[in-house]
Amino acid sequence: MARKQRDVPAAAFGAAGVELSGVTKQFATPVGGLFTAVRDVTLTVEPGQFCAIVGPTGCGKSTTLSVVAGPERKSAGEVRVAGSPVNGIVRGTSFMFQSDALLPWKTVLANVALGPVFRGMSKRDARDGARDWLRRVGLAGFEDHYPHQLSGGMRKRVSLAAALINEPSILLMDEPFGALDVQTKAIMSNELLELWEQTRPSVLFITHDLEEAIALSDRVVVMTVGPGTVKAVYDIDLPRPRGAVQEIRFDPRFLEIHQQIWHSLREEVERAYARTATQSGAAA
Amino acid sequence: MAEAQPAAQALVADVPGPPAPRRRSRRRLKVNLARLVLLVVIVGGWQLFTSLKIVDPFFFGQPTGIVTQLRDWAEHGTEFGSLWLQIGVTMKEALLGFGYGVLSGIVMGVLLGMVPFLADVVGPYIKVANAIPRIVLGSIFVVWLGLGTTSKVMLASVLVFFVVFFNAFQGVREVDRNFLANARVLGASQLQIVRHVVLPSALTWIIASLHVAFGFAVIGAIVGEFLGAQKGLGLVISTAQNNFNPNGVFAAMLIIAVIALSAEGVIGWFERRLLAWRPNINADRAGI
Repeated sequence: MARKQRDVPAAAFGAAGVELSGVTKQFATPVGGLFTAVRDVTLTVEPGQFCAIVGPTGCGKSTTLSVVAGPERKSAGEVRVAGSPVNGIVRGTSFMFQSDALLPWKTVLANVALGPVFRGMSKRDARDGARDWLRRVGLAGFEDHYPHQLSGGMRKRVSLAAALINEPSILLMDEPFGALDVQTKAIMSNELLELWEQTRPSVLFITHDLEEAIALSDRVVVMTVGPGTVKAVYDIDLPRPRGAVQEIRFDPRFLEIHQQIWHSLREEVERAYARTATQSGAAA
Repeated sequence: MAEAQPAAQALVADVPGPPAPRRRSRRRLKVNLARLVLLVVIVGGWQLFTSLKIVDPFFFGQPTGIVTQLRDWAEHGTEFGSLWLQIGVTMKEALLGFGYGVLSGIVMGVLLGMVPFLADVVGPYIKVANAIPRIVLGSIFVVWLGLGTTSKVMLASVLVFFVVFFNAFQGVREVDRNFLANARVLGASQLQIVRHVVLPSALTWIIASLHVAFGFAVIGAIVGEFLGAQKGLGLVISTAQNNFNPNGVFAAMLIIAVIALSAEGVIGWFERRLLAWRPNINADRAGI
């Protein structure tokens, strides 16, 4: 499939590493000031690595992600994908949001086929590929349904298929399972891991759920409360394949890592909480 | 009729009595009966009052007179040729105006919706143009384009354009930012975004405007004929008016109403087909 994609050197496929160095992003506020969302973020995702970013709400996790994906322009610093600096949309990147971005007027099959169609593949080939991916995420037989006819978990699977069908070298996920119930989330995490192990793109995964982050990742990045910057980076040495995420939580090594990272994360969460508390106090 | 059923069921749900299907069909019968009674009262009353000369039939017409007029037109034609020719001419003007108006409305709406710079530049002028009583433009079109169909088509399409344009523009602006961002990340070109994301999303808005727009197309055609024409239902109406023939005016009105209702049916069918993806489209349309 990689052959059919336009404008992309073949070497960019497989997994590509992501390097952010000194990335700062500022927004103009409505009152005319400048709001710094992230400041001086430096982090590296090795090719094929699963990297999670955790941090309190509003620490700029999502901003970091959209700077990598290209829709947002960074104010300073450099992003390199596969060694070359990027500015704008990066080919070979797939994105998965918290709210699924499935088009309600297209069937499940057409939604999944959209990525390849956008990249110039014929409609027929794209649909064949989409059918195959739907089977891989366990949705064979639902090709002609519309998104609103599916449950939240099923829609996530469609989004996952739509993200992976482009054979991305980088997969960016912004709290993809945030809106799901606990059981569905666990099932989806398992499926994500399984599919990731087959295709092995580099993953940047944003979550505020530390357990989810540790269970899935090779590397966990803790961000400080806004303006967000990298506080600490932890390499997770749990063996792969990890198996069921529900069970690895009871692994002694998992608990050890969890405690270590939580210690670092808790400070930030408390600071974020204190900040909102004083703000709402001042408002009242 | 069919759409009204769920509401009917809910209303009578806790009333004990015959089983639901029978109760439902009995209610439908009652509604139809009441409609018939209403029609008889209005038309019969009109007929009665005019034949008793309480109301002067010379000014107010008479249902039997309208029927006679229709039969006369159908059998002997109007002053300007057969009745079918008049209907055909007006329909042609309305449909052409509708087509051009819808097309230009969608194109402009999408264009301005997608390019904020253009919208900022052209926006005030469109607002001014919209504020002009556009019916008056009809006189100018007749002067420019003569008494033929072109001037009516122009007037109809101008009326249609603004309705469709504002809806298309709004529809494009309401497109979910998430869909746009996702399509961009997936590698869509600007044209692909318009085709796969923007247009389908705005379609709900555009189609909603078509119902009103067709009414405007008919108005445009009729008024255009009023202002000066050699054929068409508008000319038939204005001639009947000048001859103090209220039955003729009402008869032509009736024909126009039938045309508008059939068009409404076609647009509704079109809407259901194009928006089949929407959940519970029928539930939305319950009521009237």
